[in-house]
Amino acid sequence: MTHRSLLRTMPPYLPVLIILICMFALNGLAEPNSLSAYAIKGLVSTYLALMFLAVGQTIVIFAADIDLSVGAILGLVNVTVVSLMQALGDTPGAILLSMLLAVGVGAACGALNGVLVVILRLQAIVATFATSVLFLGLALWVMPVAGTPAPRLFWRTFGGRIMGIPFAYFVLAALLVLIFLLARSRFIQRLLTVGDDQLAAFQTGLPVTSIRVRGYIMCGVFAAFAGLCITGDTASGDPNVGGLITLNSVAAAVLGGAALSGGVGTLFGSVLGALVIGLVGSLVFFLGTPSEWQNLVQGLTVLAALMVGILFSGRARA
Amino acid sequence: MTDMHKAYGATKALTSGRIELFPGELHVIMGANGSGKSTLCKILAGSVKPDGGTITLDGRPVDIPDPKAARELGVSIFYQELSLSKNRTVAENILARDLPTRAGLVDRKAVMAQAAQVFAPFRDVASDGFSMAARVGDLRPDQRQLVEIAKTFAGNADIFIFDEPTSALDRAQTEAFFKELDRRKAAGAVIVFISHRMEEVFEIGDRVTVIRDGETVSSAPLAETTRDRIVAEMVGGDSGASVFADPPEAPAPGKVRLELRGVSSRRLRDVSLSLHAGEVLGLGGLHGQGQSDLLRALFGLEQTTGEVMLDGAPIALPSPRRAIRGGFGYISGDRQTDGAISGRSIFENVVPIHLFKSRQHILRRGTLTAEVDRVLQILATRHGGTGLPISSLSGGNQQKVIISRWLMDETQVLLLDDPTKGIDLKTKLELFALIRSLADKGLAILLYTSEDAELLANSDRILVFNNGRIVRELAGDDRTRLMLTSAAFEAA
Repeated sequence: MTHRSLLRTMPPYLPVLIILICMFALNGLAEPNSLSAYAIKGLVSTYLALMFLAVGQTIVIFAADIDLSVGAILGLVNVTVVSLMQALGDTPGAILLSMLLAVGVGAACGALNGVLVVILRLQAIVATFATSVLFLGLALWVMPVAGTPAPRLFWRTFGGRIMGIPFAYFVLAALLVLIFLLARSRFIQRLLTVGDDQLAAFQTGLPVTSIRVRGYIMCGVFAAFAGLCITGDTASGDPNVGGLITLNSVAAAVLGGAALSGGVGTLFGSVLGALVIGLVGSLVFFLGTPSEWQNLVQGLTVLAALMVGILFSGRARA
Repeated sequence: MTDMHKAYGATKALTSGRIELFPGELHVIMGANGSGKSTLCKILAGSVKPDGGTITLDGRPVDIPDPKAARELGVSIFYQELSLSKNRTVAENILARDLPTRAGLVDRKAVMAQAAQVFAPFRDVASDGFSMAARVGDLRPDQRQLVEIAKTFAGNADIFIFDEPTSALDRAQTEAFFKELDRRKAAGAVIVFISHRMEEVFEIGDRVTVIRDGETVSSAPLAETTRDRIVAEMVGGDSGASVFADPPEAPAPGKVRLELRGVSSRRLRDVSLSLHAGEVLGLGGLHGQGQSDLLRALFGLEQTTGEVMLDGAPIALPSPRRAIRGGFGYISGDRQTDGAISGRSIFENVVPIHLFKSRQHILRRGTLTAEVDRVLQILATRHGGTGLPISSLSGGNQQKVIISRWLMDETQVLLLDDPTKGIDLKTKLELFALIRSLADKGLAILLYTSEDAELLANSDRILVFNNGRIVRELAGDDRTRLMLTSAAFEAA
């Protein structure tokens, strides 16, 4: 088998998998305790939100779109779910209902993005940036001041264990099953076909508009899942919780092998990409980098990881 | 389909298109460049919306708003420019419209099996490196074309439209395709076929409809017509009665400026020609047969093999930078993407080539302004001041500004790639007068235009292209519409 065809037949997420293993090794070298079961559980529960967000982002990137409002949707869902729980009480039923409604909020945000970008044909980058400001405004209206606590039952469950296994691992398993099924769905295949060449997909007879709008809605739903994870992790509502996470979700998708030009990538790769970004953060911490240097080192490390990924896959991606 | 019409802005692509299709026939559509044959087919396939007219299917009027609706009515089309996703596999492309699923998930085994079944007629001619799991982007052009053919046949359809489906295929592949067409025909399907190879048409066609200037002029069984008659119908009685003059008197040949020997590229096959100083050499034939590719290759935009000699010395053209320094100038009809620097002033649109060639970094506005005024004057460009944005000008005047770029310094060879696209008739005449005056000053000009009348009226000689090759050279009294059309449809 030639070098070229070997590169073609390898799974697209192989480069990011190797980077991930290297990051684990580096973390282990810097601080052996970082590989303990406890530390890994912490890593997973902190970065679950980014994993969900990266999957949602990847779905729109598949169709050559982009969503810069995912962080804001996450924040809006976070304050919505906390406010709802406070209003409805902390019975299990009320909590589940609040979560369901919050996912609906995410889907509605996604639908708005879809209408603006796909039907009204605004530029995806600008339109979703604008809606991110809108969603942030809504979040501040729902909860002007950060710090309303989530019900005890909610965060205790998220941070706790079932049959001795941390709850976060169940969520991770659910995410993996979900993306396994999604990757084999006709919907994702069609998104990829649309992202590859939109005109060709239209001429093939695919309903391009509806496929892209559904991609945005799906992305909103995943952002809502991410919002629920953040709520479980921080145990409180904070409208500004989105912060830098939007661009991290884009970086995770690209690290995972997705091309911003559309049509290429895997959802699993993006999950690995999110973990790499998480490990970069903890590596910077374990290396004892002075706090004023942390952002710089973190940025450089993400850049290096991106470059390694591109070199490895043998072709530059947009 | 009766009385179909479609206009793009002021351009009427189709004025009165009419075609009747019967089950079990292979119906050929013939027409010269811009006659509207592709437009008629795209209307039937739903990718172009008609401005009016009716489509009747099995006695029932139907509305076809998009390709999806067309497929649901059983109309499947092969796109000349292909409709494939390069990052998807062959199998996924063939079945893209309707991937088989099991329990809601894509059934990969069924995808492979069904795609292989659709592709079976072409399996033996697809040759090496081909598999159902291959990425379409990694395939050769002929293999991609086979995939597009298989994709057209996939699923349930009973009207198949093929718009130049054999351009990249070799003989064995073409035969396998024709055999499959026969099989579908025998099963009662209708096949609509557009081809630029007259031979092919007579080999497989049952009936032929000829379209000229957006109008259906005849429809007859192929057995009852002849090659010459079809060509005559495509050309029409006196459609030469345009505003364009008769072909120019060829000037006394100057010295050979540009010579090509055996130039080949992705789209070009073994092109040899010589171009003299002071000559306008026309590139003719149907659209997309390699004319633009040749011009782009000479401007360093496409890789080629073979020899290019400028003034007797070999020259390498790996990039536009080198081509410009070598004395080539390129002007495209796609002003918005390939010419005008939109949003900038007329002044800034005239100077870039000069700045590049003179390696000037610090500008002396005064001298430069005088120069700009001089070249704009040569072209009689009407403008309200060189500081105005180029978009304030009409298309024709924008094109003049772009031409003037190449006149600030010495340019030896001007490559004109459909330069008058979308320009009104009066300005067109002006532009061509200008092109002639440039030739008279000793420039060597290669001209491709998508309108045959323009080509005939302005070329000293015409090279007719078919499928990347030069198939005929027309000079002197041979430069007639009849000869040009006839040559364009000659087998490569």
